Amino acid sequence: MIQRSDMPGHLAVRQLVKRYPNGVLASDGVSFDVPAGEVHAVVGENGAGKSTVMKMIYGLEAPDAGEVVLDGRPCHFKSPADAIAAGIGLVPQHLQLVSSLTVAENIVLGAEPVRGMLRRFDRQRAETLTRELARQHGLEADATALVAELSVGQQQRVEILKALHRGARVLLLDEPTALLSPQEADELFRSLRGMVDRGLTVVLITHKLSEVREVSDRFTVMRAGRVVGGGRSKDHTQAQLAELIVGRSVDTASAPRVDARGREPLVKVRELGVVRARGRAELQGISLDIAAGEILGIAGVEGNGQNRLADVLSGLIAPSVGSVSIGGAPLAGRGVRHARELGVGCVPEDRLYSGVAVGLSVAENSAAADYHRPPASHGGLLDMHFIRQRARALLRLHEVHCRDEQVSMVTLSGGNMQKVVFGRELQAQPRFLIASQPTRGVDIGAAQGLRRSLVALRDAGAAVLLISADLDEISALADRVAVLYEGRLVAHFVGRVSPRTLGLYMTGLACEPGACATLDAPFTEAPVEATA
Amino acid sequence: MSGEALGLFAAGLLAAWLRATAPILLAALGGLVSERAGVINVGLEGLMLVAAFFGVLGSAFAPQWWPGAAAWVYPWAGAVLGLLAALLLALVLAVFHLEFGADLIVAGIGINLLAAGVTVFTMVTLTGDKGSTAGLLSHALPTLHIPGVAGWPLLDALLNGDGGRGHHVLIYAAFGAVAIVAWLLWRTRLGLRLRAVGENPEAARAAGLPVKRLQYLALAFSGLLAGLGGLYLSMGYLTLFQADMTAGRGFLALAAVFLGARRPLGTLAAALLFGAASVLAGRLGLLHIPTQVVYMIPPAATVIAMVLFAQRREQLRRRALAAALTQLTPTGATTSTPGLPSR
Amino acid sequence: MSRAVSGSFRTLAMAALVLALAWALIAMVSHEPLHAFRLLLTGALPEVRWSPELGFSVRRMARFGAVIEETITLSLLGLAVLFGFRARQFSMGADGQFFLGALAAALASTWVAPLPGLSLMLAAIAAVAAGFMWGLLAGVLKARFGANEIVTTLMLNVVAIQLYRLVITLWFNDPSANMIVSPLVPDGAALTPWVSRTNITAFVLSLPLAAAAAWWLLNRSTTGFEIRVVGDSPTFAAQVGMPVRRAIALSMALGGAFAGLAGLHVSNALLKRLPVDLNPGIGFEGLVIALMARNDPAAVPLAALLYACLKAGAQAMERASDVPRELVLVLQACIVLLVVSERLLPTFARRGKA
Repeated sequence: MIQRSDMPGHLAVRQLVKRYPNGVLASDGVSFDVPAGEVHAVVGENGAGKSTVMKMIYGLEAPDAGEVVLDGRPCHFKSPADAIAAGIGLVPQHLQLVSSLTVAENIVLGAEPVRGMLRRFDRQRAETLTRELARQHGLEADATALVAELSVGQQQRVEILKALHRGARVLLLDEPTALLSPQEADELFRSLRGMVDRGLTVVLITHKLSEVREVSDRFTVMRAGRVVGGGRSKDHTQAQLAELIVGRSVDTASAPRVDARGREPLVKVRELGVVRARGRAELQGISLDIAAGEILGIAGVEGNGQNRLADVLSGLIAPSVGSVSIGGAPLAGRGVRHARELGVGCVPEDRLYSGVAVGLSVAENSAAADYHRPPASHGGLLDMHFIRQRARALLRLHEVHCRDEQVSMVTLSGGNMQKVVFGRELQAQPRFLIASQPTRGVDIGAAQGLRRSLVALRDAGAAVLLISADLDEISALADRVAVLYEGRLVAHFVGRVSPRTLGLYMTGLACEPGACATLDAPFTEAPVEATA
Repeated sequence: MSGEALGLFAAGLLAAWLRATAPILLAALGGLVSERAGVINVGLEGLMLVAAFFGVLGSAFAPQWWPGAAAWVYPWAGAVLGLLAALLLALVLAVFHLEFGADLIVAGIGINLLAAGVTVFTMVTLTGDKGSTAGLLSHALPTLHIPGVAGWPLLDALLNGDGGRGHHVLIYAAFGAVAIVAWLLWRTRLGLRLRAVGENPEAARAAGLPVKRLQYLALAFSGLLAGLGGLYLSMGYLTLFQADMTAGRGFLALAAVFLGARRPLGTLAAALLFGAASVLAGRLGLLHIPTQVVYMIPPAATVIAMVLFAQRREQLRRRALAAALTQLTPTGATTSTPGLPSR
Repeated sequence: MSRAVSGSFRTLAMAALVLALAWALIAMVSHEPLHAFRLLLTGALPEVRWSPELGFSVRRMARFGAVIEETITLSLLGLAVLFGFRARQFSMGADGQFFLGALAAALASTWVAPLPGLSLMLAAIAAVAAGFMWGLLAGVLKARFGANEIVTTLMLNVVAIQLYRLVITLWFNDPSANMIVSPLVPDGAALTPWVSRTNITAFVLSLPLAAAAAWWLLNRSTTGFEIRVVGDSPTFAAQVGMPVRRAIALSMALGGAFAGLAGLHVSNALLKRLPVDLNPGIGFEGLVIALMARNDPAAVPLAALLYACLKAGAQAMERASDVPRELVLVLQACIVLLVVSERLLPTFARRGKA
């Protein structure tokens, strides 16, 4: 192993610029400084550019301009191997461990101790090493346990030990509490403090401001690829932090609010919960109502359970507990077709993955939801004439720019693809539409058109669930807003709520325990300081 | 039957059983290594075939190339040529998949077709005979006699086969390979890396492992082992090459990997089962069981085993989800099966 | 460059490569390479001669007839493999489905009282049903249990072929023949040749009809639609409520139906009796056809014809020169390898396979 200083590293980035091939400017002159032995939080929402900066620090991407500086020396990493060699370690958000190997094996993978001429894997040494490392950094780890049997918090610890084994002096943690329970998160922060005391620099990449206040010494806020603020965590109030992260946005002219309180809800969700095999439950205790002719917005940073909520409501997945009904008829756990028959439509969050079939034509995509019934088909036979005609009408109605309905979906831009998805859902005249991140990756003109469609749908009497990480969108469209954080509802507001307030709850700084978004539920009062 | 005659009969049966198992076992172990490294090798059949053919070729033509050498050299020359051929073909598969992006399964089928074509094509060109190399004088690899066990007749029969002449060297190699492969995969650094690459290539890459290089190695190794299996066919009991000599053993080897739950001992057990089936097929005629039924047993067992394995995986998943349910309701009460697609 | 043009360019480039390889191999082993190469390319075709006294006369019709017969069988098998591929399933089961289809057809023809016309239809139903069920079995194993379809179909092939041999050896053989073979298919169920000295029967109509049926099934039926969407994006298919598992199972079952039809062809049109040692492996040739046709039913008959011509040409070459016909196996392998090498011959705007 290279002889390297054991002192914690001093990391700095200067004027980093990165533009992706599709034209997006992900980093626009980003600079910040992390002195040795500090816990520094890089904060921002999804799309703020913090992941890109992290990739550049770790050698996964090369900056177009600017540089990464470690201990005063500029570094040009061509790959993570270079970064690791220089002493930068990464604990990724999606853990990269080999489940059937033991903790010790995972930690030494790539730098395994060997014995003898035949290159026998020296298991004893690996295990001794692991125990020594764990003791040294105050982390608990069972060297001989199989990773598959560990909890998420324990697995994360293995990732940390892995990075430390390679001599990390600067540790990057990407959204470290995404999957952790509150207790595991506390344990993690305690461990981080301990490691820093023993000589380590930590950079936390997160959207959760609660973490900023709890564990970091200083922080940097990013928005839209730029650094918009920073400083010592203790010197800022919650409100100031939230304002930095979501920004002071101008109140855009928006559609008149609908006040549906007192009405009978169309969609009723009670105590909905979804677990996963490992880690924190994805959804817990979700109760909400949506009335006909109302838009309920779900605000929250992606990864807090929104996907699961959409999956359950659209019928794709059965919940672990709880109930969902529409117009009195039970909805949950009976499949997508049953839901669609009850009038549920869904614009999924990941367009390319589950919104379209890229290799098929626009016409075929537009018929994918109701092809099995007349008039799109009769007795198992597709009526292509009808399907094509309807597709042509769809293209005209939504002003989709493509040659005709026969072209392959892959030739359409993101915005046009989304218009086709919308068109497909709207042509079924749903009573209840779930729109997940509907304007993500869509150009402004198309986005405006899509938003108008949502409002028109509401005005026609449908219930709309708008799940969005775009606070401007939520503010502009929603009649009521609920905030989703770590799988729970933590706030319930009337539509005209300031993005700053939403930001407080989205980032965990404030929380109304047991919040629910039923029609008769009270609205959340002034922000409550989160305990612990 | 007297005790001694019974013993001789059993020893003969055992020898036949080992003879039938050895080629399948060797190829299966090769398939195990590549499957564990994430590159399933569907071309085992073709790899065995080329090794069988070029082994015979090397053994037959070696006297012309090295006229002065001792007679025992020739079969080993053939063995080396055969293994080189299998290795080369395995590398062709690797290059097409890892460099040119060819689908691994289809490329494996292509390798099988290539082997079938090249072997017969070359055979006809060189010998003028389309069916076999009977016209060529090729040799067998030697048998090995384990000394010093004459005092224990049962052990002697086990280790030295019928007649005490010893088993073919490749039979010992086959069973020895089980230990070697197990040791390789679980005790060496290379094995650890191969398993990591096969299970989670992303994690392996993140750990700095050279994924492509490791997969090349795995495919080359599978070529070598499959080659040994093929050599046994044409340089063991029989000393000639026949067109389509492998007769599906390569596919059975692949099945053995899955029937054996992708572990060395399981693969050994599966290969023994398949070997037993082919040996018993002829002899069960006495019990009015047709040979075809016996031949059906290995593939049917494989299919059933795969279903059982899949069901077990599903069971474990359900249990994990049920356990996680206590997060939501202390009593674990539930409305439906958690987290699964509803239908 | 439009996709159609670049696709043809790729096909031409591949064809050129294969022919170049053929030439190289021939040149290596033959004393008269030019002659051999010419035979390879044209040996399948009949010779049409014109003379003032006799007018047109056609020679070597029997050989060309064999080419057409092989084309029919291969075309049906190519369609069989194609269905699974369109759903992104690697079903290798065409061989087993083919054998069972042939057996079912022969059994139905012989054991049901021979009524002209009707027994042939019954044989067809039996063949298609046998292939369909065998394919469905593999399909259900994959859809319901997630069993790796490569291994299960290969294993089911073995079971099917052993079943075929078992039935013929024990219960369905012709004692008067001097080899183990099934009884002759009765005249009422057999197909009569349309062209003399060949076995080109009414089945030749299946070339356009079967391809059209497959095309129609894939592109105009709801099930075919489901198969294509599942093959393109299983997650999207689930999101819109398509029965993904049913589509996967049916893709293999429908493939089996076509393979069974190929079995009917061999049983009632070509051989008229089934030998116990019928050579397995023709299913893999179907795979080559499907790959050559890029999984498009409309291109399958042409691909099958080209392939069959190549095979027959190789036979002619072997008869009249010193190059063995196994050359075609080597070429076959190269076609397979080249077709699936995505990065070797670049394609335009092709989405990578997940």
